[in-house]
Amino acid sequence: MKFKSRFSFSGFLILLILGVSLAAPILSPYDPNAIAVGEPFAGPSGKHWFGTDDLGRDLLSRILYGGRITILIAISATAIALIIGTLWGLTAGVRRGWIDEFLMRTADATMAIPQILFALVSISAVGASVISLPIVVGILLSPTTARMARSAVVTELASDYVVAATASGIKRSRLIISEVMPNIAPQLLVQLSINAAAAVMLEATLSFIGLGIQPPNASWGTLMLQGYAKIWNTYWFVFFPAAAVTITILAFNAYGERIRVSMDSRRSSI
Amino acid sequence: MGKFLLRRATSSLIVLSMSVVLVFMSIRILPGDPVLAKLGAATEVTPAALKALREEAGLNRPLLVQLFSWINRALNGDLGVSYFSQFPVTRLVAERIPVTLELTFFIILIAVVFSLILAPLSTLKPGSIVDRVIGYFTSLGLSIPGFVIGIIFILIFSLQLQWLPSRGYVPLSQSVGDNLRLMILPSITGGLTATPYLVRYLRASMLEIKQSPFVRTAEGKGLSNWRILFRHILPNSLVPTLTMLGLIVGYTLSGVVVIEYMFGLPGIGSLAIESSFKRDYVVIQGVALTIISFFILTTFLFDVLCGLVDPRLRLTKEQKSEV
Amino acid sequence: MKNALVVNNLSLSVPSAKGRVTVVDDVSFDIPAGKKIGLVGESGSGKSLTAYSLMRLIKDPVQIDKGEIFLGEKEILGMSMKDFRHMRGNDISMIYQDPMSALNPIMRIGAQIIESIRLHSDLDHGQARRLAIEHLASVGIPEPDRRIDSYPFEMSGGMLQRVVIAIALSGEPKVLIADEATTALDVTTQDRVLTLIDKLAAERGLSVLLITHDLGVAAQFSDDIMVMYAGKLVEKGSVNQIFSHPVHPYTKALLDSRCDYTIDVTKPINSIAGQPPRLDNRPDGCVFSPRCEHVQPRCREGVPPLISVQDRLAACFRAEELFHVEMVK
Repeated sequence: MKFKSRFSFSGFLILLILGVSLAAPILSPYDPNAIAVGEPFAGPSGKHWFGTDDLGRDLLSRILYGGRITILIAISATAIALIIGTLWGLTAGVRRGWIDEFLMRTADATMAIPQILFALVSISAVGASVISLPIVVGILLSPTTARMARSAVVTELASDYVVAATASGIKRSRLIISEVMPNIAPQLLVQLSINAAAAVMLEATLSFIGLGIQPPNASWGTLMLQGYAKIWNTYWFVFFPAAAVTITILAFNAYGERIRVSMDSRRSSI
Repeated sequence: MGKFLLRRATSSLIVLSMSVVLVFMSIRILPGDPVLAKLGAATEVTPAALKALREEAGLNRPLLVQLFSWINRALNGDLGVSYFSQFPVTRLVAERIPVTLELTFFIILIAVVFSLILAPLSTLKPGSIVDRVIGYFTSLGLSIPGFVIGIIFILIFSLQLQWLPSRGYVPLSQSVGDNLRLMILPSITGGLTATPYLVRYLRASMLEIKQSPFVRTAEGKGLSNWRILFRHILPNSLVPTLTMLGLIVGYTLSGVVVIEYMFGLPGIGSLAIESSFKRDYVVIQGVALTIISFFILTTFLFDVLCGLVDPRLRLTKEQKSEV
Repeated sequence: MKNALVVNNLSLSVPSAKGRVTVVDDVSFDIPAGKKIGLVGESGSGKSLTAYSLMRLIKDPVQIDKGEIFLGEKEILGMSMKDFRHMRGNDISMIYQDPMSALNPIMRIGAQIIESIRLHSDLDHGQARRLAIEHLASVGIPEPDRRIDSYPFEMSGGMLQRVVIAIALSGEPKVLIADEATTALDVTTQDRVLTLIDKLAAERGLSVLLITHDLGVAAQFSDDIMVMYAGKLVEKGSVNQIFSHPVHPYTKALLDSRCDYTIDVTKPINSIAGQPPRLDNRPDGCVFSPRCEHVQPRCREGVPPLISVQDRLAACFRAEELFHVEMVK
């Protein structure tokens, strides 16, 4: 039997990342935007754990503050995707018929549009901000969420207890809110986790091509772009934000996977 | 097969036309006036002149009419004119697309080769050390942004070892060797980004096929594990994987945007990014349309390929016999 | 008489929430060379797992806990898989339950037979192909030279089962296992396929283990019958012994519950009261005791051994006694 408990390393890591981002002002040794607090391009040292950038700013502080922006964007984007996607999928799954057909074909069509291009157009039109980025990323993540929600709802509606409850005359809307929704919640949680990972990835990618939060503030993606531009001077600069992004995505993906596996094993043991 | 093709083609066309409408709408919904954009922000115009220009551009007509005339022109190869350079978008795209297609080809080639090695290796003995190591790398690969892989390769092969250039492009027609040398890093970067998806899918599909009764029949014949793997399990898992591969080709086509940009390759991805900085929406629109068409075309072609590989789809069931 | 196959104390288990549970429990039997033995039991009785053990096709999570299987002179469970692989198809071969899924769906049937022929001989492709056509003809497939290039989906279930038989015989085995070979087919096809297996086995002097849930099928096509219940072999005897005076209460109940089309339809079919035990909840003592109408306290305490009773084997404390009761009737 596999070791299974409520504690998981990925969950712990997510909490840690969230906690550190929240506590950035307390934890940061320097002002993230203060220049020349150290020598430019200094490697990691006792004074600057992650080294400094081209303007002599403390990278640890910049990454701690950058995490706040990245995580904030990821969480808001995930929430937006959850709301749009769930409504989209629920409507399709509950209504069925031509509404379903139309909504799902729209999802297919949206997914055929290259994400980056959609982001390119919309963000260059309205400008990158902590408002526009989550909306764009959230919209991009909603069709996959809609598909997941739809298939979960369709499966759930076909199950014996729903058929029985419908036959006994319970109102459909009540049934969906009180019975179906709680049952698809674990699947939504998996999607939520995957979406958070995808959101961090998208934000990083957009920032990397210059469509992210504008200087002097910086998300992890922006820091990577700056670091990449100075890769010939030092590689510490790009290394730390890249590591932060990768670990965060890994944690969200692993957490989603973990819930999915425990969900599957619970189902198969019944 | 005919019926299958027809059904598949119809649904492709539906998705295509819906995405075309979405592209048209998204550009229209966004703030920013195409006429103003065309004139450039610095130009001062009177409201009257603006109105005249709008009428000339057909922007005062109903949206639906605009949509159809736009589609009509697109079908005739007219994707509009760049606000910035005044070149036809079709020409800009045509100039740049060979780079994107070449890169995509190499990326898919690398991903397919890696997957065909890694997935069978990991299914030979599920749960073994080899399987677990491949599993860890797959999870890691799914979590590293593509450009981070690119950065790692540039650090190692360009900065440290100085074996390969990190930026630039030479057309194939000019020098095959130089072209390939410049394509190595971007191709491997993209290939490694696509590989985990393919490995994961192929592995799952192979493990499922491994449970089939016909695999037991093959074992019962006395065949070796390798022969069963490559003669029975792999061909059967390739059928569903081809559909997945079609999707991956499609995603790669749009994913190369970032790779082209970071390695300085003049493909349509870089074109889109450059245009976005200049707010040259007509060009982005043209690139989007091109990529979407390729995306839908490849997924369609891979489904057809899937039908060619699977005799159940290829042949009609006319010759069924009864005992 | 020499034995083609000997099974000693074979036990299999699967994991459950309560730890490993036994699904085949200390089963021993043998198949004399050239004989046909029927193995009868309800689904879940462990008969198919017993059959797969003989081919060493047992897969995780099922596990062989103990036992020996002798194929001719050789013990196969202790052998390396590499060595045993050469015996598959060659010494022992199997016909599988569902012909529709037992063949590779995207490979021509010819290729699937040729693959097996070439594995067990030195023939080149052309020779193997000609032999495959002969095999197809011998299992009664019309136009075998054309049919050899068909895909499985182009053929009916009965035809496919003939192909599976051709594959099973292509390595010229000495022992043939037919695991519910006709269950997936319709009734008239069933009979033809079984007759074919019977004929081919007789021609080649094969030893056959015929696994079925249908006592009638076993009676028609085997010399001896073994009855299995909940992983235990409960009775073994000749067809005549089992049919005319069974001694184990389970065998008797099984015979009574058969629906015989020739008898009076107004008479109710007797079914056996209760359910077979759950895997993870096997009763102490005799496995059949909870459902047995002749149960006594000792049946719940000790496991009755499979012993000789009136010239056959039975695992019941009251076998001798019940035999006499039956004879009096």
